[in-house]
Amino acid sequence: MSDFTMVATAPLDGYAKDFDGVSLAEITNRAIISIATPAGGEAHLAKAVKSAFGTTLPNIGGSQSSTFSNGQFLGLQQGQTFFVFEHDAPNALEIVAEQLKDAAYLSDQTDSFVMLTISGKNARLALERICLIDLHPDAFSIGRVARTSMEHLSVIIKRTDEDTFFLMSPRSSALSFLHVLETSIHNVT
Amino acid sequence: MTQKNRIDGGLIDRNEPISFTFDGRQFEGYSGDTLASALLANGEKLVARSFKYHRPRGIFTAGSEEPNALVHLRRGAYLEPNTRATVAELYGGLEATSQNFRGSLKHDLMAVTDVFSPLLSAGFYYKTFMWPKAFWEKIYEPIIRSSAGLGRLSGEEDPDIYDKGYLHCDVLIIGAGPSGLSAALAAGRSGARVILCDEDFRFGGRLNAETFEVSGMSGTDWAMETIAELAAMDNVRLMPRTTIYGAYDHGTYGALERISDHLPTSGNKPRQVLWRIYSKRAVLCAGSTERPIAFGNNDRPGIMLAGAVRTYVNRWGAAPGKRVAIFTNNDDGWRTAHDLAAKGVEITAIIDSRECAPLSAPAGAAIIMGGQVVDTKGRHGITSITLANGQQIETDCLAVSGGWNPNVHLTCHQRGRPVWRENIAAFVPGGDIPTGMMVAGAASGELTLASALKQGHKTANSVVKDLGFKPSRKAVSKAEDEPVEVSAFWHVKASKSRAWLDLQNDVTVKDIKLAYQEGYRSVEHLKRYTTLGMATDQGKTSNIPALAIMAECTGKTIPETGTTIFRPPYTPIPISALAGRSRGKNFRPMRLTPSDKWAKEQGAVFIETGMWMRAQWFPREGESHWRESVNREVKQTRNSVGICDVTTLGKIDIQGRDAAEFLNRVYANPFLKLPIGKVRYGLMLREDGIVMDDGTTARLGENHYLMTTTTANAVSVFRHLEFCAQCLWPDLDVKMISATEQFAQFAVAGPNSRKLLQKIVDTKFDISNKAFPFMACGEITVCGGLPARLFRISFSGELAYEIAVPARYGDAMIRALMEAGEEYEVVAYGTEALGVMRIEKGHAAGNELNGQTTARDLGMERMVSKKKDCIGNVLSERPGLNREDGLSLVGFQPVDRKLELKAGAHFVAKGNPANTENDEGWMSSVAFSPIHGHSIGLGFIKRGHERLGEIVQAADPLRSRNIEVEIVSPHFIDPEGERLRV
Repeated sequence: MSDFTMVATAPLDGYAKDFDGVSLAEITNRAIISIATPAGGEAHLAKAVKSAFGTTLPNIGGSQSSTFSNGQFLGLQQGQTFFVFEHDAPNALEIVAEQLKDAAYLSDQTDSFVMLTISGKNARLALERICLIDLHPDAFSIGRVARTSMEHLSVIIKRTDEDTFFLMSPRSSALSFLHVLETSIHNVT
Repeated sequence: MTQKNRIDGGLIDRNEPISFTFDGRQFEGYSGDTLASALLANGEKLVARSFKYHRPRGIFTAGSEEPNALVHLRRGAYLEPNTRATVAELYGGLEATSQNFRGSLKHDLMAVTDVFSPLLSAGFYYKTFMWPKAFWEKIYEPIIRSSAGLGRLSGEEDPDIYDKGYLHCDVLIIGAGPSGLSAALAAGRSGARVILCDEDFRFGGRLNAETFEVSGMSGTDWAMETIAELAAMDNVRLMPRTTIYGAYDHGTYGALERISDHLPTSGNKPRQVLWRIYSKRAVLCAGSTERPIAFGNNDRPGIMLAGAVRTYVNRWGAAPGKRVAIFTNNDDGWRTAHDLAAKGVEITAIIDSRECAPLSAPAGAAIIMGGQVVDTKGRHGITSITLANGQQIETDCLAVSGGWNPNVHLTCHQRGRPVWRENIAAFVPGGDIPTGMMVAGAASGELTLASALKQGHKTANSVVKDLGFKPSRKAVSKAEDEPVEVSAFWHVKASKSRAWLDLQNDVTVKDIKLAYQEGYRSVEHLKRYTTLGMATDQGKTSNIPALAIMAECTGKTIPETGTTIFRPPYTPIPISALAGRSRGKNFRPMRLTPSDKWAKEQGAVFIETGMWMRAQWFPREGESHWRESVNREVKQTRNSVGICDVTTLGKIDIQGRDAAEFLNRVYANPFLKLPIGKVRYGLMLREDGIVMDDGTTARLGENHYLMTTTTANAVSVFRHLEFCAQCLWPDLDVKMISATEQFAQFAVAGPNSRKLLQKIVDTKFDISNKAFPFMACGEITVCGGLPARLFRISFSGELAYEIAVPARYGDAMIRALMEAGEEYEVVAYGTEALGVMRIEKGHAAGNELNGQTTARDLGMERMVSKKKDCIGNVLSERPGLNREDGLSLVGFQPVDRKLELKAGAHFVAKGNPANTENDEGWMSSVAFSPIHGHSIGLGFIKRGHERLGEIVQAADPLRSRNIEVEIVSPHFIDPEGERLRV
């Protein structure tokens, strides 16, 4: 038995706050695994995903849900999908690898990002100050995913509901990202 | 005070009086007023002094084109100079002060420059201050600088906050006058996403200034009804107080929204927001700007544009004068007379430069057809005008109309050139306007109300149809076409007094003629020589008359003479708005290492390395100098064990069947045969053979590698690898992703590092020297099962490891390592000690990999494998990079050990003068070595490896130093690398 206990810390210590018409909260119980498609292995991977997770891989800019740990596949770029699912322990890679075996190149990205949800009737108004892409429901409907940047920080954004967005940004600059979001919320509420 | 010139009517709320001050005097206006309209209502004519001659000036226009009425608004740190009184919305407690004078506004001591005006003609300082040469810097320039500048800054940090934002729409409509409203209605009704912007706080444009009817109701009422309909549409966003200041590529427009400039305070919310608007189409409905006629002393307070006079009377119920004369070259001037007369203002005379039959005029007004005003009188406000026939007419306001210029500016922001239209004697948008932009209404040259409404409607319908929407079948609102006949008439030649063209820069007709005489005939040269069209108004009222006069001088036509290039911004944008929230610490994001919290608890001193905040050293009680801390950290690491957070180094996860081949191509040294469980140092070249970066790459599995890069090049190396994979070798099966953020990584260095780690690493993993030798790597578990990675690599030159755990355990890991190391008196070390140790060891870092050095310079030429191809291989063979007398990286120490070396010093052979001809290289890195007890350095010098033991000069003329240094091996400790392998 080790003499040392390793306790995980969240990038924002589990931040959650309500503002006028906006709620902002850190998500801490999700794992992120990057799934890269081997050259020529598209069909093999699609089959493996279908078999293991009961769904298909999304197109770039789209997402697919899975009943596997309430998972979401995010289509980010050619040959790269992120699988985001409910999982707390540091063995997420092992779990997905067991499912997909050699069908994909996997990389644990859980600790690479801070994850937040921003929701409420003023959420879009706040994002308007920092998000370059068009978040109008006609242009960015529920389930859509995009890589973008906000105040020089790279961000992955997914619309999860009419007024709810899931955001991922690099972990090391999590405090700056929080500041960016809080400033935007302050400026519009 | 009473509002002595306030008359009936207007779109002001008389139930809401507002108090304000101007130059410390208390006045009253109404909600809906601008500062200018309130000052006029109070009978204030003199509001400013001109820039060059300090001439008394009044309000000239009723909009953003105002050249004269610039004031300081607010006070203290909130003070903003050069605010145009004509667009400053009145609010309770507004404080305005006049600017650009010494003494008082009425008695300006600098007005003496007007007396010397014959000596101060265009370009005077180019001619006057030629000699004696020595006077320029010490006398002339300070005097000119103290007189120059419009307004003054508070000198304090701007306490307001500003923001930026991004908007998207199908159709952006720029301007909410008749054509803009008509266009917005048509576009909005089709269901397209519409943004309607106007710089004014009240939508309606000229409809608010005129007495026209639309669809059987007053223009103002029609505007209000239209706005109400638009406001009820979910697909339409109305943005008053918003100026579209620039038209950029791909339908992108810059906009400044003034959120709280009309309020006493911003309430800790953004004062202004700078928007980037992405549009599929834009309809420019920017209207037109009236232009003056130049005649003698046409700059006196009380001389105004006729349309502005009408606006003050109709919109604001403020009469600029009680006895008004009108000087016009077009039909529009006559409408001013009727509107004023309808409000009870006496019209003394209508002087029309045209030789034609007079239009109908108010009773009592003298009508002079073919007449010209040659001069005016009245120091602080006009009192009379003199006509060409010598007739003198008393007046307290002269309304001047020289015709209207379509506001074509935004059509020219991508180098489009406007074209001349003779019937309105004005430039209209040319054919090469920004892609996706259409122009409607007065901005297109359609100067009548009915045509503006029609064109706005038609253009919007055409645009939405083009975008796939179904245009509404509702008909366009109806109005009459008013007369707009004009004859080109730019200046009164018979005037003997100075006739002003550019009121803001005090440029006269004579200045233009002088510029012509002196050879400045291009309009661009004219602008720069005379300052015509510069400063806040950018010549909106002056450019066209001035170039018409230049055309007269050159004998060319106006279109042949052309205009200057219109560039963004259309109207001034505060620098603070451009900065937005990117101020101070918010200028850029900050990246924190996983041990940041722990390091702060230890009182670490931090340093910015790129965006990262890294611990530089960890001071302890009793240490009074940073070097004491650093020396302790170095010594204790070399004697026992030290720990450093090295998370910031770039980490790139590389996988694929062809990953080994890929690495073999991007690195100069071979990577095909790197065994699983081993790490190799890699040198990466640019295509031109220069060193790009270095680092290590570990083989974690058959098709799985982890590359490390320097902190500085983490992004550029990743980008380079992606380029190679996607563009150079798309046939290779290789995928990569950044893992920099994923792992918290710590260097554990020193003779006791293994012992320390054995307390952390789970016992099933053998990390003895035999089982886990130098350059080994492996995936392990620590502290009872936590997945981790261990690399036996060393930057310090000691027995050392780097251990990586998922970043969420970084804080726990540093605490565990420090606790485990207590028995070895472990120290945390920062970037400073890291740097000292790498210099002692002779490792190259960023200072040495500066984008100019080659593998040969670094003494690594043998790493560039000749048995395989790699990026940079061929060009590294260039003769220039392989000269016999090329640079070599070597070590340096001062001959006098007490002296300190300085990075940046250049090497010169002993006895030679320290100049560029004798330059033999430079010192790239220096440190105080606590092991040796003196300063040491690394640097590049010609044939360095052949010159060990030679004494040269380290010349540092910038810091007035020149010391003797000895060339030594770059390895100040353990040259054989024995410590690494124990």
